Amino acid sequence: MSNSLTKSDFAAKISAAKKKIEENLEELNKLDAATGDGDHGTSIKRVIEAADTAAQGDASFKDMLTNVGMAVMSVGVGSAGPLIGSFFMGMGDAVDSEELDAAQVAAMFHAGVAGLQKYSKAQIGDKTMMDAILPAVEAMDGKVDIPVLFSAAAEAAASGAEATRQMTAKFGRARNLGERTKGHMDAGARSFSLIFAAFAEA
Amino acid sequence: MVMKKFLNDPNDLTPELLEGYCLAYPDKVKLVNDKIVMRANPKDESKVAVVTLGGAGHEPALSGYVGDGLLDASVVGDIFAAPPGPKVLEALKLLNRDAGILLIILNHQGDVLNGNMALDLAEREGIKVKSILTHEDIAPGTAAPIEDRRGLGGCIPLAKIAGAAADAGKSLDEVLEIAERFNNQMATLAVTMKTATAPQSGEYISSLPDDMMEIGMGQHGEGGGTGPQKIMTADETAETMVKKLAAAIDVKSGDQAMLIVNGSGATTLMEMFIVFRKAYKVLEEMGVKVAISRCEEMLTVQEAAGFQMFLGKVDDELLGYLQAPSNAPYWVTQ
Repeated sequence: MSNSLTKSDFAAKISAAKKKIEENLEELNKLDAATGDGDHGTSIKRVIEAADTAAQGDASFKDMLTNVGMAVMSVGVGSAGPLIGSFFMGMGDAVDSEELDAAQVAAMFHAGVAGLQKYSKAQIGDKTMMDAILPAVEAMDGKVDIPVLFSAAAEAAASGAEATRQMTAKFGRARNLGERTKGHMDAGARSFSLIFAAFAEA
Repeated sequence: MVMKKFLNDPNDLTPELLEGYCLAYPDKVKLVNDKIVMRANPKDESKVAVVTLGGAGHEPALSGYVGDGLLDASVVGDIFAAPPGPKVLEALKLLNRDAGILLIILNHQGDVLNGNMALDLAEREGIKVKSILTHEDIAPGTAAPIEDRRGLGGCIPLAKIAGAAADAGKSLDEVLEIAERFNNQMATLAVTMKTATAPQSGEYISSLPDDMMEIGMGQHGEGGGTGPQKIMTADETAETMVKKLAAAIDVKSGDQAMLIVNGSGATTLMEMFIVFRKAYKVLEEMGVKVAISRCEEMLTVQEAAGFQMFLGKVDDELLGYLQAPSNAPYWVTQ
């Protein structure tokens, strides 16, 4: 693997993430049933399918990310679609070339987080997908080798998701359950640990 | 209990209801891009457009209020779900004009998220749009943070005011200022005695024992009220609610007000008139003049039994806009 990320490399990673989510669909729905309405797996599947479809085609890398963002926002599955859509839209803001080095990949993901944080106030510890995304993106900093960057992100996302077991939900429908959410891994965080794992493997 | 509703495929509820609505009032409204209800006869582009967004399942709101003198468009989501930001953007693009657009957003998490997203997307496209957030639920108290104060049926009279001001040729800043003035002096409380079923699944949204009611349960009967209590009489319920509303917006002797009793779906007009009568009398005793009123189903929640009581303080200018001619299917004023 060359030490750069192109549009088609990233499209392949999104396809791998789609496959990974599909393989773990039942687990995600079960996790969500413990504290939510049990449809997170189905929602995230629709999100990642929309992303995968929009990632194909001849657009530039930047436009591809914007297209993916718009497609994901349009899925209309509660707040997951809009939030994840704004993550991809934000990534597009930082990309201006067709081939990114490791520092530019990290910058792209940081811009994604900035896009997401325009709409979500969730922080580390609130038991949301942020518990996987924020550590994953932090872990990309300072890496010079792209496969190393994605492996570090995947590891950080996995431990971030694991840590949500001990947390009390502060957002979404699960918020109403308060302390009862302890002991269950957050389905959104688990989804992103799967997505970052797929990014590292692809 | 098994849900008893006239339905086809639950996945088709929203497209089918919108199709039927626009077929029923073809001289007034038309359906564009699947989920956008627009005026059949668009107004002059030199005037500000007024748009709102929200989930379906609350008929006639919000699309019932698209028409001359009122909204230019409503962007509709699935049942009880906000439309996606990009769909709202489509409506803003269709109505893009130099005069600008006012987007009315009701304070519900999904509406705010997707509405704000649409505003950001519109900014990227250079569309001139400003927004107003309705949050007139007083169930958590008027001192509660805005996030906790839901947007209820007050969005409809507010849309009437904004629509009339826009059609009268006011600028975007003026329309926003007029609407914001009303926004800051209106209050709503919802009371529920039987909650609705979600029509896609047949599940009850929440539950209340047979002999109980709850004041402050919000749009869908989702909760957040003062807790279940024994069902009171119409007069006791009306008096309790109207006094809370009057205190919240500080209406006093000599003030003019708008009073609305908005049925939630299963409460009869008979009950609503009885409630309205008592609320009117309480205000009269306080020396408050009910200058304009409505007593009907405006923003419903399926077959929920209950109603929303709305009270807004008005001055002559606001009253003029509320009384101005409009021709929306569910708000006709000659």
